[in-house]
Amino acid sequence: MRPGERSIAVMLVLSIGGSLALTAVYAAGGQPQLEGILLAVALGALGAAIIAWALRLLPHEAVTDVREPEPSPAEIRAAATTAFARGEEQLTGRRTLGRLLLGALAGLALVALFPIRSLGPRPGRSMFHTEWQPGSFLVDGAGRRVRDGELAVGSVITVFPDGYVGSPVSQTLLIRVEPDQLRLPAGRGGWAPKGYVAFSKICTHAGCPVGLYRAAAHQLLCPCHQSTFDVLRGAAPIFGPTTRALPQLPLRIDADGYLRATGDFSAPVGPGFWELSS
Amino acid sequence: MIRRLVLWLDDRLGAASFARKALRKAFPDHWAFMLGEVALYAYVALLVTGVFLTFFFTASGEDVVYQGSYVPLRGQRMSAAYASVLRLSFDVRAGLVMRQIHHWAALVFVAAIVAHALRVFFTGAFRRPREINWLIGTSLLLLAMAAGFTGYSLPDDLLSGTGIRIAYSVLLSIPVVGTWAAFLFFGGEFPAPVTIGRLLALHIMLIQGLILAALGAHLAIIWHQKHTQFRAPGRTENTVVGSPLWPNYAMKSVGLGLAVIAVLAALGGLFQINPVWLYGPYIPTTVSSPAQPDWYIGWLEGALRLMPNWELRGFGHAVPEPFFPGVFLPGVLIAIFALWPFIEQRVTGDRAVHHFLDRARDAPRRSGVGAGALTFIVLLTLAGSNDVIARFFGVPVETVTVILRGVALIAPPVAGWVTYVVCRELRAAEGRPAGAWHALRRGAGGGYLTEDEKG
Amino acid sequence: MRRRRPAAAAAALVVMAVVVIAARSRAQTPASTPPSSVSAPASPLSTDQRRGADLYALHCASCHGVTGQGTADGIPLRGIGAAAVNFALSTGRMPLADPHQPMVRRLTTWTRPQIDAVVAFVTSLAPGGPPIPAVHPEGGDLARGEQLFAANCAPCHGTAGQGAAVGEGADAPDLYDASALEIAEAVRIGPNPMPRFDAGVIDQHELDSLVRYAVSLRAPADPGGLSLGHLGPVAEGFIAWLVGFGGLVVIIRLIGTTT
Repeated sequence: MRPGERSIAVMLVLSIGGSLALTAVYAAGGQPQLEGILLAVALGALGAAIIAWALRLLPHEAVTDVREPEPSPAEIRAAATTAFARGEEQLTGRRTLGRLLLGALAGLALVALFPIRSLGPRPGRSMFHTEWQPGSFLVDGAGRRVRDGELAVGSVITVFPDGYVGSPVSQTLLIRVEPDQLRLPAGRGGWAPKGYVAFSKICTHAGCPVGLYRAAAHQLLCPCHQSTFDVLRGAAPIFGPTTRALPQLPLRIDADGYLRATGDFSAPVGPGFWELSS
Repeated sequence: MIRRLVLWLDDRLGAASFARKALRKAFPDHWAFMLGEVALYAYVALLVTGVFLTFFFTASGEDVVYQGSYVPLRGQRMSAAYASVLRLSFDVRAGLVMRQIHHWAALVFVAAIVAHALRVFFTGAFRRPREINWLIGTSLLLLAMAAGFTGYSLPDDLLSGTGIRIAYSVLLSIPVVGTWAAFLFFGGEFPAPVTIGRLLALHIMLIQGLILAALGAHLAIIWHQKHTQFRAPGRTENTVVGSPLWPNYAMKSVGLGLAVIAVLAALGGLFQINPVWLYGPYIPTTVSSPAQPDWYIGWLEGALRLMPNWELRGFGHAVPEPFFPGVFLPGVLIAIFALWPFIEQRVTGDRAVHHFLDRARDAPRRSGVGAGALTFIVLLTLAGSNDVIARFFGVPVETVTVILRGVALIAPPVAGWVTYVVCRELRAAEGRPAGAWHALRRGAGGGYLTEDEKG
Repeated sequence: MRRRRPAAAAAALVVMAVVVIAARSRAQTPASTPPSSVSAPASPLSTDQRRGADLYALHCASCHGVTGQGTADGIPLRGIGAAAVNFALSTGRMPLADPHQPMVRRLTTWTRPQIDAVVAFVTSLAPGGPPIPAVHPEGGDLARGEQLFAANCAPCHGTAGQGAAVGEGADAPDLYDASALEIAEAVRIGPNPMPRFDAGVIDQHELDSLVRYAVSLRAPADPGGLSLGHLGPVAEGFIAWLVGFGGLVVIIRLIGTTT
């Protein structure tokens, strides 16, 4: 073997070995770490061999290319502009046809909007409502109706309107706090019987579920962008990028002790949008 | 044999004259010129592994009950998409390693594009006549980010579902058309069952078609315009010196391609990435913490986290908070980035053709702007992981946010100014035409002149 | 303590942390000779309760009050229940050398009989509060546990139980050091700032399932390789830049020239 070839030969043999070993590992049922490493060996050793071949065995030769200037020679430029202008002359002057041509193109542009319109339903009023109705029972993720007494002070549970378990728009946090600590906004007297207070779980910033409840501080935190809400003050925002409180769900406890909604949320749920009036 | 093939081709295509020139084409050998090549080969790895993954992926939001071999999820309801990713990860031989190589390749692909763009920016390689390729390159960066985000969203796990949720909300925040745009793009109010299928179509067809077209144009223009190079003895503006394509450059490039894919394979084998089985299926009513996007979306996530709570309201309408950090700010930054060659021409009045590269110090103003913008983006990216940083240092996350808000406003101008001053001083310290090699160029008469002399 | 941090360079920190923990745990060693007299409650005490009363007087009473009535430095313990006391002592969260220290897991040298004694004493002060839960993870259902964990625990503790910052400096700790019983106790009592989950929300079988899944996260299979601390895209981004891209820069630096 000629000088300089030995190390390259070693790398090539290593690559062959890597490929064979990878074949064996695969045939034996596969193992992700070995697969990755052996593939890296097979490819890497081959790559190293080729690079070493180029750097050590090939003559170091520098070639020099002459750049052609970007603008074409003047006479070619002139010929090109003339050719374009000649065609332009032949096309212009037929004003009516020209206008109709533009009209036809505009018509086609209009037609092109239809497939785009088909991509989704009209937003309509769906953004303003959830599935909560006056009298809806509150059920947990397993569909069990929630009853007074099942939730201790300091607890939180995700609830849905009966019949809509898992609903992304109606998901609601039911939290129990000491009733005398509540400082709900005016007009919400009676919305939180016995300290049961319910808010939309969808963050009013970017829509993540507001999943973090710091029970002692009575604060809800959204893990996506750290919007923080004060449960006692009607889930008003106290930190982070959101401006709007989590909409509150008015509750009552019926004669049998079941928790029920008395209506829909106090505001449209979820992140803001253009049609949302304050 | 090969010679006969070449002759056969020449008989039919007349390829010999092209081949004669092409095989001796000069490719400069500076290491920094290979950053784009790294991106190119990462893309090759992405295509190969991606085709493999596509054969196993089910792009459907349809409910299924998982019955595969990952015990903690067995018997659970989940989307067919998520179940197919679990099957690929646990029940397809070499499936997991292919998925991991694909994901690592995506992260490295965008990293290499960013590094390549920074090299082009700080060396002024975008200047006339290369403005068009700068615009194409910008498109490639954006397309790579879009490919990455759509890919990250496909498994329909808890983390990626949260990412789609945020993207939906950002789209929703656009004034006037936001609600329609969100409904049309995602196929209805979130979470719409058709979304995953659409993201797959974008991820494997539309975006890849655009990337391949833009990449082809990018390379064809480089081939036509020839590479830029740094000043050195014996080099002139109207020549380019380097290794010949055949065999030196071809060997080095093929070797590099193999090395790139080898590194990605090693990453895919050694480091676990995106363990979707731990995240669980996407459930719209829950979320995990911490929740981050892949690194190249981090600056957008960071902007959303840092933004104070501003919302415009009035006349029965609202422009919600996510619009400003999620749409307006990136829109402005991307526009400035894309149009930089023209902005710089306007500011400096330099519209001349440049084939020699600047060093950072040669253009202190450009370097200052670049350093400032880079600092801003890095800080936003850090802000995207403010909760992880807060926990690492044992500081309240609110404190991290407030500090980063201030730093993101103050540090970029400071970094830009410092860079500007350092570049100016470095250039001044070199003295005027420092090395004799520094400024030679060929005059009209054929002789060599220094740059100060008018030829 | 946050284990499984990806940064290998954190080794020095770990050494420091161990030293600090060792120092702290020494401070928390219950005195072997408690004072003989305390202002005990009126009811007659069992031997266990008397030993507990002694330990309570020495380690707890200064903040929580001699009869568990609470002071400015510590919450009332009357009626807090056995689970809360057992959780606080067995995880080393209590006693604190200084009431301003954070309530986090620490190594403790308290023995099982000592803890039992204090539990017996405190529960004798007043009835109420969750009892020490029975937990049988082996009887739980792993898949149900995963669902419950994702819905109730992962938002704060992370999908891999790696822990997370939950705002205002509060930390949802990782679950790797917690025993099955401690996890079950935390579910039932909601140690500050965690919310509590009663049997009406998570029933006994669900608790067993949840704990079974949580315990399984201590040593997940991680078939993909190194777990990177289960920190997700943040750690992955660092590896992509430092190891992946960094390694490739070294390679192109070897191939290329510098002019």
